[in-house]
Amino acid sequence: MSSTEQGTSSAAPAEPTTAPESAAAPEVPESFYYVHGKDKVVHKVSAGALQHSALIHGMISNLGYTEEQAKANPFPFENIDGDILQMVVDWCNQHKGKPTPPEDTNLPKQKEKLFDLVLAVNYLEIKELLTYCCKQVAMMVKGKSPEEIREIWMIPTDAEDEAAEKEAKKRAGKEAAGETAAAAGDAK
Amino acid sequence: MSIDPLSVLHSLFHCVSDSLPRAFSGRGFLGAHLPVPAKSPSSIPSFISQSTNLMPIPILSLPGKNLQYALNCLSVGDLIAFSLCSKRTKHLAKSSNRKIESICADFDTCSSIIIQHLDEELFFDFGDSWADLERGNGIEIWRKREFAHSDWIPHLLHIFNDPVIRVLSIKDVSLAYLDTIKRIIPRCNRLEISENCSDDVAKMAFLKLSPIAVKEVEVYKNIFDKENDVSKALTLNLESVIFCDYKNPLELNSDDLLMNNIANLIIHKVNITGKELNRFLKLWMKGNHSFYRPKNIELVLEKATKREEVLRGVKYQVVDYKHQLKRADGKVLLISIGWRCVVFQFQ
Repeated sequence: MSSTEQGTSSAAPAEPTTAPESAAAPEVPESFYYVHGKDKVVHKVSAGALQHSALIHGMISNLGYTEEQAKANPFPFENIDGDILQMVVDWCNQHKGKPTPPEDTNLPKQKEKLFDLVLAVNYLEIKELLTYCCKQVAMMVKGKSPEEIREIWMIPTDAEDEAAEKEAKKRAGKEAAGETAAAAGDAK
Repeated sequence: MSIDPLSVLHSLFHCVSDSLPRAFSGRGFLGAHLPVPAKSPSSIPSFISQSTNLMPIPILSLPGKNLQYALNCLSVGDLIAFSLCSKRTKHLAKSSNRKIESICADFDTCSSIIIQHLDEELFFDFGDSWADLERGNGIEIWRKREFAHSDWIPHLLHIFNDPVIRVLSIKDVSLAYLDTIKRIIPRCNRLEISENCSDDVAKMAFLKLSPIAVKEVEVYKNIFDKENDVSKALTLNLESVIFCDYKNPLELNSDDLLMNNIANLIIHKVNITGKELNRFLKLWMKGNHSFYRPKNIELVLEKATKREEVLRGVKYQVVDYKHQLKRADGKVLLISIGWRCVVFQFQ
């Protein structure tokens, strides 16, 4: 059972079909908000679930949207992939109104998306999920040798770091020279 | 249509090797039945064992706070492994400000380090460009081409922000290597010089390394072969020294005791006569040593001594079964004399 739903692929969502929230209906009607990621698929999320995200919670508090206004103006997160946003929304719904246990088994299962997930969760400021994701990142190298860690975490060697630094310096030098030449051209 | 028997065998081989855990498949089909020295497949977390499906993560591209948090979640062993990946990771490991409970160094035919932190225990042996590690998964071998034998320990101390070595143990090392040890280990709480050292190494280790021992020096070998060697050693400004050699008792006289500058000196065993002990007491009573530093001297004697001989001509009181001597300047000395043991407590 999930409150998340797949909307249309347009920024202005079609009327979303709301899934039932929970067996125990809340006494006060819950307010809902709408978010979409890069794929424009709109997700309906309750205010309670969104409280996990400090960023969205702050936005909601400041806006004071009505249900209709919220529906008409989904929060756009163009920098977050749709499937990642889906994971985040699912997690927020699962943990709505309850503290996260230290060992969270409801973490999104797709480990190959962990990096994007960390970036998204960091952006959305979901502290508990971020903590757990970082733990999962650490778990990836549990008991590994330096060489294995280098592969798993894509760590460049010193030589690669030096080469990249040289390249960056060269590029910066070229850009600076280009800017100087352009400024001289403008002066003429 | 005929089937090539070789192609059947080939596909069968792939079926079997593909279904093997990673730790086995890397060792080839024939080696699959052999014990795996490092990690058993069961010790590998489930999602790591399917790492062919796992996208590597460019961890250094994570926002600084997230990266630091991930590093804080690493065990000590994993953090060390991470620190060895590059100069950048070494810097990051250090900046995570990880503290460790205990680190002990042992210098024998090769250098070893034991790190203990909470439930984690790591045993490292170091050589040129390699380190053996035992952390409960069998022996792992780590390689670092740029590292010489003496580079490993400074690396570890650096990333943990130079912790004090709890015990520095010197065994069968060469004389020349003592300077290297002094260079790479800035200080330790306790220095232990083993009976397995050669005489020269033991003596030189005491002279060179005892100043880096903050709390205690233990020497399990009689390192004194010349008359004035003892005095020279006892004049060192050390906190606590234990000389322990039951086979070769240390030769001591009253002058050595008067020149002693070690706050807590324990010697097992020592050759000193009752007459010499008596002379020491009389000279101390005269009060010529107003800056006498020792607080405690404990001597286990090779030959039993008589109480009367030690205290002959010395004015004392018996307090709590001890003999109390009071000097004119008010300084007090308590003496306990057993059958083969004398303890001086300066108050």
